[in-house]
Amino acid sequence: MERPMSASGAPEWMTAEHSMGTSIMAVAFDGGVVLGADSRTTTGTYIANRVSDKITPMTDSIFCCRSGSAADTQAISDYVRYYLDMHVVEMGTPPLVKTAARLFRELCYSNKTQLMAGMICAGWDSAKGGQVRQVFCVPIGGSLVEQPFAIGGSGSTYIYGYCDAHYKEGMTKEECQAFVKNAVALAMSRDGSSGGVIRMVTVDKDGTDRTCFGGEQVPSF
Amino acid sequence: MSILEYNGGCVVAMAGKNCVAIASDKRLGVQLSTIAMDCNRVFPMTDSLYLGLTGLHTDVTTLHNLFNFKLNLYAMREGRTIKPTTFASLVSSTLYEKRFGPYFAEPVIAGLQADGTPFLCAMDLLGAMAVADDFVVSGTCAESLFGTCETFFRKDMNPDELFETLGQSLMAALDRDCISGWGVDVHIITKEGVTTKSLKARMD
Repeated sequence: MERPMSASGAPEWMTAEHSMGTSIMAVAFDGGVVLGADSRTTTGTYIANRVSDKITPMTDSIFCCRSGSAADTQAISDYVRYYLDMHVVEMGTPPLVKTAARLFRELCYSNKTQLMAGMICAGWDSAKGGQVRQVFCVPIGGSLVEQPFAIGGSGSTYIYGYCDAHYKEGMTKEECQAFVKNAVALAMSRDGSSGGVIRMVTVDKDGTDRTCFGGEQVPSF
Repeated sequence: MSILEYNGGCVVAMAGKNCVAIASDKRLGVQLSTIAMDCNRVFPMTDSLYLGLTGLHTDVTTLHNLFNFKLNLYAMREGRTIKPTTFASLVSSTLYEKRFGPYFAEPVIAGLQADGTPFLCAMDLLGAMAVADDFVVSGTCAESLFGTCETFFRKDMNPDELFETLGQSLMAALDRDCISGWGVDVHIITKEGVTTKSLKARMD
């Protein structure tokens, strides 16, 4: 049987890098953010992990969504978490989301030729009483863009229209959660490299709330 | 990505006691993008003979039309329906004719012979036949399917058990393949006729 082989003659699923095809997004509301992601990690077309967690904590109230090479994004977020820990020791206050985002940008841009990582950094900090504008996108290449909502990963291409049509300024926390859930579900339904469960993290001044929607709970259209 | 993985999809067939069942997923994609969730890759060739084809979908469609054409001529000349073993040889030689420029499709044949015993065989894209008495698989998640079928298969299942076993084997394998899924159709073939059921599966 013809099967994709690597240069060494082994099947692709044994040698290909782990990649997070992915659908990730984050939306800001007044007082916090909602982050969402699918849970599929692939090696070629084999699903290596169908329940992976792509929303990674940097601090108690800053999170990042990871897309691209699993190894690269894990290494980058480990570095940023380490730098933020040092920063807290030096500053004595929890870091700003903007600081975390700038650290991501610094790593991704300086090493752009060797990395394949698209990240979305979002969270809550106490500057200006928890202002809106806490979602930062660091796409492949290492640019930094602050947005009211950000989408990323291979699955995001399928939901640009949906997100542009359904996003409104001034949405409540619950409206943001519904928006994220539906958008990620749509992306999972069309993109081969996205799927599994929908993981969602809501961060505001009262703390962090992690939820997971699987099986029947994933919206279908 | 290999040409056989361009559209995605898989087919599996299993034998029971005087019955066979053949199942496939419903996805049609262009590499990682899904463009249809209602694509058919298992075709009835006679009342008790089904052909499943995985691989490049244009070749799946072409081969389906070609075999319908050949079976019509066969019925006209012979005045009877073709036997499963004969049909398998026909498929094999049709594929091998194109040895140095093959059709990118890998067939699975499931049928009942005249005495009611099941017949199963699978082929690669060049027509190399492998006959089995338990199950046969083909498609992008063939390796996963071998694993699940080997685990769940038992001899001499009745049609209901066969449906359940085949359905669960396929659904478990689909969960580990990016480019198969989006729905499942199962056809159960017995002496009395064919029952087709659709399974509710993950749409990711």
